[in-house]
Amino acid sequence: MAPVLALEPLRNGVLALAAAVLLLALFLLVQRGLGALARFRTNRREPILTRLVFGALQDSPVNATQFQKLGRRDRKLVRSILLGLALDLRGDSGEAISEIYRQLGFITKDLARLRSWRATTRANAAADLGLVHCSESTPALLHALDDRDMRVRQAAVWAIGQVGRRATLAGLVRLLGDQNLVVAHRAQEVLAERGSEVADAILAYAGNTSSRPGRLAATELIGWLRIGAGAKLLLGFMSDLDPEVRVKSVKAAAAIGDPVFLETFQSRLEDSSWPVRCQAARGLSLFGSPALVPRLSNALRDQQWWVRFYAATALAEVGPAGEAALTGALQDPEPSVREMARYLLERGNAVPALP
Amino acid sequence: MIWPSVPAILGWYASFILLFFFSINSYYLILTIAGFWRTLRVFQEVRRPDQRRLLRSPLTPPVSVLAPAFNEEANVVENVRSLLMLDYPLFEVVLVNDGSRDRTLGRLVDAFDLRRSARSFERALPCKPIRGIYESPTYPNLVVVDKQNGGKADALNAGLNLSLYPLFCAIDADSILEPDALLRLVRPFVDAPGVTIAAGGVVRVANGCDIRGGRVHAVRLPRRPLPLIQIVEYLRAFLFGRMGWSTGNTLLVISGAFGLFEKRAVVLAGGYATDSVGEDMELVVRMHRQRREQRQPYRIGFVPDPICWTEVPVSFRVLRRQRTRWQRGLIDTLVRHRAMIGRPRYGSVGMISLPGFFMFEMLSPLVEFSGYLLLPILWAMGLLNPAVAYTFFLLAIMYTVLVSALAVLLEDIAFRRYASVLDLGRLLVGAVLENFGFRQLTVWWRVRAFWEYLRGDLSWGAMERRGVSATT
Repeated sequence: MAPVLALEPLRNGVLALAAAVLLLALFLLVQRGLGALARFRTNRREPILTRLVFGALQDSPVNATQFQKLGRRDRKLVRSILLGLALDLRGDSGEAISEIYRQLGFITKDLARLRSWRATTRANAAADLGLVHCSESTPALLHALDDRDMRVRQAAVWAIGQVGRRATLAGLVRLLGDQNLVVAHRAQEVLAERGSEVADAILAYAGNTSSRPGRLAATELIGWLRIGAGAKLLLGFMSDLDPEVRVKSVKAAAAIGDPVFLETFQSRLEDSSWPVRCQAARGLSLFGSPALVPRLSNALRDQQWWVRFYAATALAEVGPAGEAALTGALQDPEPSVREMARYLLERGNAVPALP
Repeated sequence: MIWPSVPAILGWYASFILLFFFSINSYYLILTIAGFWRTLRVFQEVRRPDQRRLLRSPLTPPVSVLAPAFNEEANVVENVRSLLMLDYPLFEVVLVNDGSRDRTLGRLVDAFDLRRSARSFERALPCKPIRGIYESPTYPNLVVVDKQNGGKADALNAGLNLSLYPLFCAIDADSILEPDALLRLVRPFVDAPGVTIAAGGVVRVANGCDIRGGRVHAVRLPRRPLPLIQIVEYLRAFLFGRMGWSTGNTLLVISGAFGLFEKRAVVLAGGYATDSVGEDMELVVRMHRQRREQRQPYRIGFVPDPICWTEVPVSFRVLRRQRTRWQRGLIDTLVRHRAMIGRPRYGSVGMISLPGFFMFEMLSPLVEFSGYLLLPILWAMGLLNPAVAYTFFLLAIMYTVLVSALAVLLEDIAFRRYASVLDLGRLLVGAVLENFGFRQLTVWWRVRAFWEYLRGDLSWGAMERRGVSATT
């Protein structure tokens, strides 16, 4: 027993732990104190500096000379005020913010930070450059798209979305197939916002890429951006062997809503994959043609609830002929068909907003 | 053969307890530090403006918020109003009235002008019969489902059937979400769509806070010691502990009070287990198991900044029910999925987190309890110096206090939810108080949970709520 529960080492252990707890408590107090001091200073200086910033923003041309005499901490605060404003201000005010930011030398610093050895610093620099819409940073940001750290690539993608011109935006398209999912998704999001400027690049990428995730993302973009010129490509994808490609392409086609898809949508109602059938029914709901009623009524008997739901929605969109079909479905021997028909007849076309 | 003497056996056992005690506290210490490190890393990413802007992207996936309610007439209307005011682009609230015997449904019908609906829904998961579905013309994104009582898991399965969106957020109807909580919690799904299948958010203690109109206006500490101690416990175990586990995709628990899931992944896994009292943990472990068996890439994460406020028990009676239920749920999950423990096929989950939970969460009360029993035996046999016993007890307390104090410090660095220094002092006092009575009681309750589990007790026990606005 003695070696296990000897008093001396236990006592030393207690003392060491007590000292550690006291140190932690002390550290807590010190960091609280320092935090309070920093906050006090910020609260005191921020209103003064914000007034200065607003004054400078209203000058024409923008003049940042009054900031030159500021100390290091004040300049840091001015920088954070400018970045905070840049998040919400666009147009002339946004340009004025960029100009002050440039005159104070922050852009040069950000470009230098973009070469830092720390990935977080590089990523923050890229994001800040995007935030202030600094167009001269484009070459450096394009270079950052090939950074080894995904956080930097991700921030650079967003920044290019903010400052990029048509040619630079096209550079983002290849990132739809980036090995890192986060980066690829970020590129897709940026292109969803501004991709119509580079629709041809997206179409070319969707048609030629060997990357499956890249093709799927590009197909989604064709739908989101309603790129009508992609109809032929989508028609080809709709008979792809990969069900995921079929789902995305039918969904994209449904978003475009071109009558050229009508026949394919009808044939896809028989697809072996239920999400494809579901998207096809959804696509058909756009046309509201009475000729579709027999096919859609048939889809009301699909095993999958979602297909029945979209088929019933499409019938409700058809008008009197569709409503008659739904009323007829109230007598259907299948309870699930009756239930869906009753639901749609009750709600009409006021179905819940769906993604 | 020479048999070892009784004192020798007791000595070895004492050595084992000592080793166990150091291991368990070191385990918490490592988890806390790993959790803090990961929290800082996440914050570095979130603070960048591109993240803030993209969270409001129109491509953010829509979410169904599922709130099961049982006898919640006191707060249900206020809580649903608070849910409807969430800051999120597209979402629906599906409240499931799980056979309440009070006026939960009546109050909802009156407050939201609910009308019976013929809404059709997908019967993807089995659940108890649904008595009625109600929708509101005023609030098109609110659906109330009235069903026969079947327990929380059954209510969630019913809500899942009714939900329309690809992600669902499971919450307790009596919890309060911060307005941007969903927007923050969805981040892993936006970053890696199709790969992230579940993410947990932080559950914090609402007792003592200033709550008005279903919103937390000021974060304050409760006056009573019992909820105060639980705050320290939540920080240590539920904030940094879970954050630490999420580091290597080894998180096993996403609280039933606040978690976001990919609906298709949950349906494929079979939904919530209605025959388990730890349905939240069981589902997460099952999803790990399924994905690892099918060798599919996936991620189950934990996000440190979305906050859900919940009321913790203020009486020992309710606390006992809660703790025995948690322990029964833990035992049940580990027993169900025992085939995963120590199997390399299940990767870090099978080799690290499940053995860790088995040793340090499931068995720890038994070891600790046996330690309490051993001390007087050793003393009675003249094998233990009382001074040594006291010192050992002090050592155990100090190590626990150290881990708790570290959690309080790290909370202050990362979040600073408690404004005054006095609050921090009180939390530290709570960290010390935890060791005098509270800890021993919870150990005893958790030991009893083994017996209850063996008896097949699946009861939840009523959670008596004072209403989160009440001063506790």
